[in-house]
Amino acid sequence: MENSIFSAKGKIIITLKPKKAISAGDDKIINDLLPQQFGKAGKLWVGILLAFCLVGLFGYYRQLRYGLVVTSMRDYVSWGIYISNFVFFVAISLVGSLITAVFRLAGVRWGSPLTRIAEIIAVAAIVFASLIIIVDMGSPERFYNLFTHGRIQSPIIWDVIVITTYFFISMLLLYYPLLPDIKILLRYKERSGERLHKFYSFIGSFWKGTPDQFKLSDKAINILCITIIPVAFTIHTVTSWLFATTYRPGWDSTNFGAYFIAGAFLVGAGAVVVAMFVFRKAYHLEKYITDNHFEKMGRIVVLLSLLYLYFNVNEFLTPFFKMKESEAAYLNGLFTGDFALVFWFAISSGMILPILILLFKKGRKPLPVFIVGIMVVVGAWFKRYLIVTPTLLHPFLPMHDVPASYHHYFPSWEEWAITLGSLAGCMLIITILARIFPIIPIQETLDEQHETVK
Amino acid sequence: MDQENNSRREFLLGGLLAVSLAAGCNSNKDVFEDAAGEVKPSGKKVKLLSVDGDVIEVDEAFLKPVPHMPPVSNTEARKGIPGKKFVMVIDLSRCKNLKKCQEACNHAHELNPGENWVKVDPMQEAEFTAPYWEPTICMHCDEPPCVKVCPVDATFKREDGIVAIDSDRCIGCRFCMAACPYSARVFNWSEPEISPAVAAQPYSIETSVPQKKGTVGKCDFCADMTREGMLPHCVSACPNGVFAFGDINEDSVSNGTETFRFSDLIKDKAGYRLMEDLGTKPSVYYLPPVGRNFPYESGLENDKIQNK
Amino acid sequence: MKLLNKIFTGTLLLTLLASAATAFSQTPEKGDLSIAINYYITNNRVPYLVVKVKTKVDGRFKNVAGIPLKLYLDKDSVGTSIAKVITNERGEASAMIPPSVRKEWNSQSKHTFLANFDGDKKYSSAKGDLTVSRAKILIVAADKKVTATVLALKDTTWIPVKGVDVILAVRRLASDLNINETPTFTTDSTGKVSGDFKRDSIPGDAKGNITLLAKIVDNDQYGNLVIEKSVPWGAKFIPVSTFNNRTLFATRDKSPIWLLVIVYSIVIGVWGILIMLVLNLLRIKKLGGSSAQ
Repeated sequence: MENSIFSAKGKIIITLKPKKAISAGDDKIINDLLPQQFGKAGKLWVGILLAFCLVGLFGYYRQLRYGLVVTSMRDYVSWGIYISNFVFFVAISLVGSLITAVFRLAGVRWGSPLTRIAEIIAVAAIVFASLIIIVDMGSPERFYNLFTHGRIQSPIIWDVIVITTYFFISMLLLYYPLLPDIKILLRYKERSGERLHKFYSFIGSFWKGTPDQFKLSDKAINILCITIIPVAFTIHTVTSWLFATTYRPGWDSTNFGAYFIAGAFLVGAGAVVVAMFVFRKAYHLEKYITDNHFEKMGRIVVLLSLLYLYFNVNEFLTPFFKMKESEAAYLNGLFTGDFALVFWFAISSGMILPILILLFKKGRKPLPVFIVGIMVVVGAWFKRYLIVTPTLLHPFLPMHDVPASYHHYFPSWEEWAITLGSLAGCMLIITILARIFPIIPIQETLDEQHETVK
Repeated sequence: MDQENNSRREFLLGGLLAVSLAAGCNSNKDVFEDAAGEVKPSGKKVKLLSVDGDVIEVDEAFLKPVPHMPPVSNTEARKGIPGKKFVMVIDLSRCKNLKKCQEACNHAHELNPGENWVKVDPMQEAEFTAPYWEPTICMHCDEPPCVKVCPVDATFKREDGIVAIDSDRCIGCRFCMAACPYSARVFNWSEPEISPAVAAQPYSIETSVPQKKGTVGKCDFCADMTREGMLPHCVSACPNGVFAFGDINEDSVSNGTETFRFSDLIKDKAGYRLMEDLGTKPSVYYLPPVGRNFPYESGLENDKIQNK
Repeated sequence: MKLLNKIFTGTLLLTLLASAATAFSQTPEKGDLSIAINYYITNNRVPYLVVKVKTKVDGRFKNVAGIPLKLYLDKDSVGTSIAKVITNERGEASAMIPPSVRKEWNSQSKHTFLANFDGDKKYSSAKGDLTVSRAKILIVAADKKVTATVLALKDTTWIPVKGVDVILAVRRLASDLNINETPTFTTDSTGKVSGDFKRDSIPGDAKGNITLLAKIVDNDQYGNLVIEKSVPWGAKFIPVSTFNNRTLFATRDKSPIWLLVIVYSIVIGVWGILIMLVLNLLRIKKLGGSSAQ
């Protein structure tokens, strides 16, 4: 009624086209989901992460100056926690394809609030995967040789190609759905501040939200979702081939591609669960990331844990049955020897306990799921360590005519500093991206709200 | 003055000089000369005394002082010597773990302590099988797993069978070390402990000197020695003649004092290669440890120095 | 008297001090060098000498580089000087007999070579010598039988020598392979040795040529003699190189075709899609610019 002009007699002469007013409900949603400034806890968190990053950088400086001798890697254990960290990062980055692409294509609607978290984790993880692999190189100043003299027969070159491709796809899959949200962010200038507002206009002011634009964008996102799945499979399969193309016991397995991918999906789901819980608590998003989400993600994690457990059984039980000479020492080392503690911890923390907890409805409440998520991620990190080091300590020929330190491996402080620094850096990128962009897609939430109201 | 000139020059030793003289006199082309590069007559003659007491004239080019062959170019070094295929035979019945091979190799290539390109391992496959000392080096496989995985062509197989490393190209990813089943490769974790003069030399693929921090190193079959027609250092250094080196295309291997017809040697003594089932096709053959004239235990004392 | 005494004791003290000082500042003991001369003749052409200089360090012999040596024939005078050489990094130096000593060379059949080192800061002076009689070795090869003859110069005639160890071999890389199981032959009264060539089908060059040789190694009287002869008794060998094949272990420009096809098609396919999506973004951008809002 407010939009009509009345004649003197009270008849409606002209009805003005109503301005697109934001309804009260929508406004509430937007206000809830806009990025919030860091509180005390947030600032402390960023400070701690920065501290870890700085110590890591100092460790790397020492490594550049003195060489890889500052690590504990030597001629037998020539790959250490840098490589296991690399595999860990690549594994986590697959979460983007799982949550965003698979859910979207399968029409899983309840998953849409989680897509932004998944994409941010994916981008952060793939960036640090590339960084940590450069850290592991003995002569990083010759990094460009990979591009000027790359041999296409080498699995490392395949890995370089796939990681670069996956990075771009993840960036696009983060960017495209972000455009409608940027429009909303631009409108709420007072919440973003001067600098962020400029940044938003730079990256998304051309988005007007017209049906034409939406049509193109939706098509693009669909194509991205379809493309990212085979690329995600390729990236982790190729990473597994860094090990499976060698002859060593424990690595010489035909199972590795599927084994790694199953593990990647599991740790990705675990990471999303952890991030879900933290953001929900920190930004008070209980209405959007509901208990139901934890219930459903809990089911997914238990399913992936069972799948990964199945692959682990295949990976270990069949060689154990045969006990080939070259593999016997390696297997015994894992099951009952030097690595037994880490091995059984990784198995129980990464698979067994999550399965046991999540099979029960009570176990799928937010807090237990969060704890299980942490267990899955920590278990997965140690599992990657177990993939890299024990095999290298059981070469075909005896370890001989080398200094005594070559017979063991425990990472040096520089290695720990750099590894923790890279993990902190990854979390820092996630934190910063969550600060800049809405952690839950606003436009999609609004759309869903409108649909349910209708 | 010819005399003065002659005395100031350094002449090629032994066979190379004799051969080039002989080649100058007959038209027989020797295999080394191809390797050494064409020696073209310079036109200037030098008068020398023959054994008959006659004065003969020899072209000066054949007396050219080349104390050491200059290092070949990178492209040449990557190609290798065509027509040759180097092979090594290690006689396990003669090895006493003296580790003279290791000393000579480490010295010749200026390696850091702890970096041994030749390792002598104590072996005993099963409870009742023979214990013996097994020297291992790079096997220079014909289907090398290390070469397959190198992302930058820093390690490559040459035409003469040698798998070499270009330390100027290596990025230090250590994938080759993971791929090698013979644990033949070592890594320069720290700055090599070599004199600044040696460190300043340009890296030569054939001598593998100077080693560089952050790159991989391994036995190179002493490519520089074989190019000059000499035996690798480990072969000459072993007092028991454990290593015999040669060209499979000439069907002959030698340990410095004895020369054997390679095919007969392997057939008669049941030579074998390590880990044949992996399909790497190594170029190093082993002769089984039969008929030893000293016990395995005689090598234990020497082993304690490095392996406590 | 007292003054004289003082001067006397003073000078005595000074000389004592001086000698003590020199005693302390004296350079450490000079090393000893062992100089070995080896004599070679190849194909009965030009004889040459190889001088090897070693020193004993910690009970082991080490080659010594950079030692200047003067080589003489029979007498160490200027007229019989052979050469002045310096050892290379392997501790070896070689020299040929120059025509200037022709008269001395032809005067007798037995000669002594002298190598003198005058000594320097590190090493005391040293001498080496070698006495050889001039000899020749000849080779004949026919019907898979190799015969070598050793002749020594006596006065002006070449006479056959008995009891000399001769090796009959095929020249190979860095070594010589005996023609049959016998490691060494000894010359009979006619100065001949003979052996059957048992190395059937030993690889030669592309035409099957191999180089036979007869050599005398480190003989006390005659030094080192070697003579070669090329014969077509070897198997024809044409090297087949797999260097240029396309394999997984070849260089980057020789990768297998199937691999190139697979990788490039995947990369082009996926990146084609990505480029399309970026272009799509640009289209969206354009639409955003043109719509009236």
